[in-house]
This record gives sequence, C-alpha cells and structure tokens, in this order.
Amino acid sequence: MSKKLLLLAVLVLLPGYSYSESITPYYGSTGNAITDQSLRWSMPDVLPEPPGLDIDTVIYNYTIRKQTDDQVDVYVGNENADGTGYIFREHDQWRPGSLDGTEINKVIGVGGIHRDLWGDGFIDVEGNGSVQDPNVIYTYRVDPCYDPQFDPNCPGYKIPVVDIPEVDLTQIYDVTQDENIDLDRSTDPKYQNEENLDENERKKKEEEEELKRKYRLEKALSATDAAALFAEGQRIQQMNEIANIAANVNGYYSKSIPGGAYQDSVQLADTQLPDNRRGLRNNLAQQRLHREMVNEQYK
Amino acid sequence: MFKKSALLMGIILVPFATSAAEVPITGTVESRCIIQTDSAGTYGNPNAYTLTTTPTDGGDPAIVRYDITLADAYYAEITPPTSFSSAPNLPDVVTFSGSVEVSTVSDATGMGTYETDKIEVGDTDRYDLTATGSTWFKISSTATMGGSKAFAGGTYTAVAEAVCIAK
Repeated sequence: MSKKLLLLAVLVLLPGYSYSESITPYYGSTGNAITDQSLRWSMPDVLPEPPGLDIDTVIYNYTIRKQTDDQVDVYVGNENADGTGYIFREHDQWRPGSLDGTEINKVIGVGGIHRDLWGDGFIDVEGNGSVQDPNVIYTYRVDPCYDPQFDPNCPGYKIPVVDIPEVDLTQIYDVTQDENIDLDRSTDPKYQNEENLDENERKKKEEEEELKRKYRLEKALSATDAAALFAEGQRIQQMNEIANIAANVNGYYSKSIPGGAYQDSVQLADTQLPDNRRGLRNNLAQQRLHREMVNEQYK
Repeated sequence: MFKKSALLMGIILVPFATSAAEVPITGTVESRCIIQTDSAGTYGNPNAYTLTTTPTDGGDPAIVRYDITLADAYYAEITPPTSFSSAPNLPDVVTFSGSVEVSTVSDATGMGTYETDKIEVGDTDRYDLTATGSTWFKISSTATMGGSKAFAGGTYTAVAEAVCIAK
C-alpha cells in the first residue's frame, strides 16, 4: 500500500519537477571574449542565444609588457549599447616601478545588466607597453521566462490565438479588371480565323487532324503491344522457373528403397521340450525355506 | 518581632548583595588579511645533487595569495624554505636558496609597485600591503647537496613561511 502511495506521489511530482527545471533561472559563463589582436569584441558574438540574459560579473586578466621606468595605462570596459558612455571602464595604471611580466587578475561586479544594454567591449592601451594573453570572461544569469511565451508554465503566458487577417481579394486582383485578359472569345483571333476558313481549307485541316489522330493511336497501340510483349516475357520466365523447381524436386521423388521378404531363420528341431530340473530344485528350496520360517514362530 | 526578623534577613543578605559578579564580554574579529595557498610547489631534479622549483628543470614554484580587506594595515612577510621538513638521510649539508616575487595583482594602480618597493631582511621578503585586493606571490626554491653528492631516493618536503603582520 505504502509503495503504491509512493509511486503515486512520484508520478504526481514528476511533471512539477520537469516544469521547474525548464523555467528555473540558470547561470553560466562565456569563453574568452578576445579572439584576435584587435582587442575589441562584439557582445552578440560572445553571449549565448537566450534573450533573458543578465550579466553579473566581468573577469579579466592579462600580463603587462613594459619597461620598468615607463607608465602604461590600460583601459578595459564595455560601451553602452546606445553609445552614450560605458557600462564599466576599468583603469589599470601601471606606474613607473611596476615590473614587466606582472599579471593582473580582476573581477568586476556589474549587478545583472541585461544583454541588450551591452555595447562593444575593448582593451585600450596608452603608453609604451602592451598586454599579453588577455582574457575576458562574462558570467551571466538566464531567466527562461523573460519571454512568457517560452513555456506554458511561465507567469504571464497567454495561449496563442491565430490571427487571420481579413483580406479583400478584389483589392489584390480582379480578373475582370485585367486588361491583358479578354473574356469575350469572339474577339480571339484564333476563333476568328476558324470562322473565316472556306470549305476546302476546313476539309484539309480535318484530314490533317485525322492523320494526327491515327498517328497518336498507332503510338498508343505500339506502347500497348510493348507492354503485352513484356508481360508475355515475364510469364514465360515464371513458367520456366516453375518447371525448373519441379525438375529439382523430382530428383528426390525418384529415389527408391529396395524391398522384398525377409524370412525367419529360427527353427526348433525337437518336438518335445523337457522340464527344467534345476528350476524345480530351486522352487522346492524356496518352499522349504518358507516352511522353516513359518515354523520358527511356534517354537 | 517581625521587624527583628526583617533586620536579621537584611544582615544575612548584605554579603550576597555586595558580592562580585563576572560578566563576560566577547567579540569576534575577522582577519582582514587572509593567506591562501593557491598552488603547492614541486621540486624538479635536474641533476643528482640539485632540487629546484624552476619550471624548465621540471619543478613548479609555489603560489600564495594574500587577500586584504583593510588597506595599509599589514605587511606580508614571506620566507622561502631554509631546510627540509622531511627527507631521507642526507649525506652532506644542503644549501638552500630561494626567492619571492609578485606574480599577479588585482589592482595595478595600488599594487603594481609592490615588487620594487619590497624590503629584503635576510631570507625574508617584506611587502607593504597598501591596497585592498588580492596579491599572488611566487615562491621559488633550490636545494643543493654539498660536495656534489647525490640526494638519496625518497620524498623531500620543504616549507615556505608566509605571514601577515599588522602594522
């Protein structure tokens, strides 16, 4: 009983589990945004597809290449999508005294900014130096229900209704208004020509038509003959195959087993069979033993 | 009678009313300088009488990270190993040499000059941690057996010391 209740509970909860899996927000991170030496990147090339994506943090690192006495300023950031400024712009000021080959590893929290607001990313270097092995990674959170129509379980989901627009077909095409189409056949030159033909020409045309009909008929008949010939060939082939099968089976049927009568070879020479004396003795011995055993109980 | 009894009670209670009580006051101070071992080092053995953390010789330097949440309040003092903490029998005296350097910072402006500003006191390097954030220090070590004798087979362990000292 308890097992049945448990099974029932599992079955009831199973759809709920899959429901929560499909619409639960999840987290992830991009790969390195920098793929070439330009040190600039476009966010649609970096971020995955889902529309409900908010960026939480930016993690970047690189190694500074410079002379110890030089100052190098490195700017890492992302522009606003509308081009009005920056979402963030970090200034790494490598002052004189900082050593060549030092690596920087920085985490910038941006607090969940929607993907649509992110413009191009960049690393700008000012001064006599460069960056080596730059690596920029974005961590993000995806809300699958950003578009409520993503899943029927999303809050705000609306059952889609097919919207069929009403179209006035006459506005699209009206054959009666098409100047290229003449609905009055009487003005068709083809029919006009036939009416104007004289008797001889009409006969000549009919004869030509008759010849054409015959020709078409002959072609049709020849095709029919070809089909019949093909069918006949198939029939003959099948008959041959059946005959071959019969011939093969006959080989087994034609086998014969040599018969005849097998006579009994046992013969009894004597006409009288004597009693078996040894058997009689044995029988008497059994009888005697039985009597001794019976008499034993009266002693 | 009642008054006398009350007075007696008062006299009896006086010593209890004036007795001392110890009231504890506790507080917890979270360290604003945290030291983490980012990666332990390994010794390579390029020849019979040398153990070294140099990568080209098959070793790996140790990396230690200082996380500072209060600026200009601490010194980092790091000492590379000066002896083995465990080793097979040593046939001769082992000479240790080592170095410490800043490998990675989380703030170029505040930490970029840590390495040039460090003070070396004997085997120990002292860094003035003037900025908040994380700093990664690389600790290298080399051990050389005296008389060019060979290290015996076995496992050798040495310990570098990294401490945080309040100013």
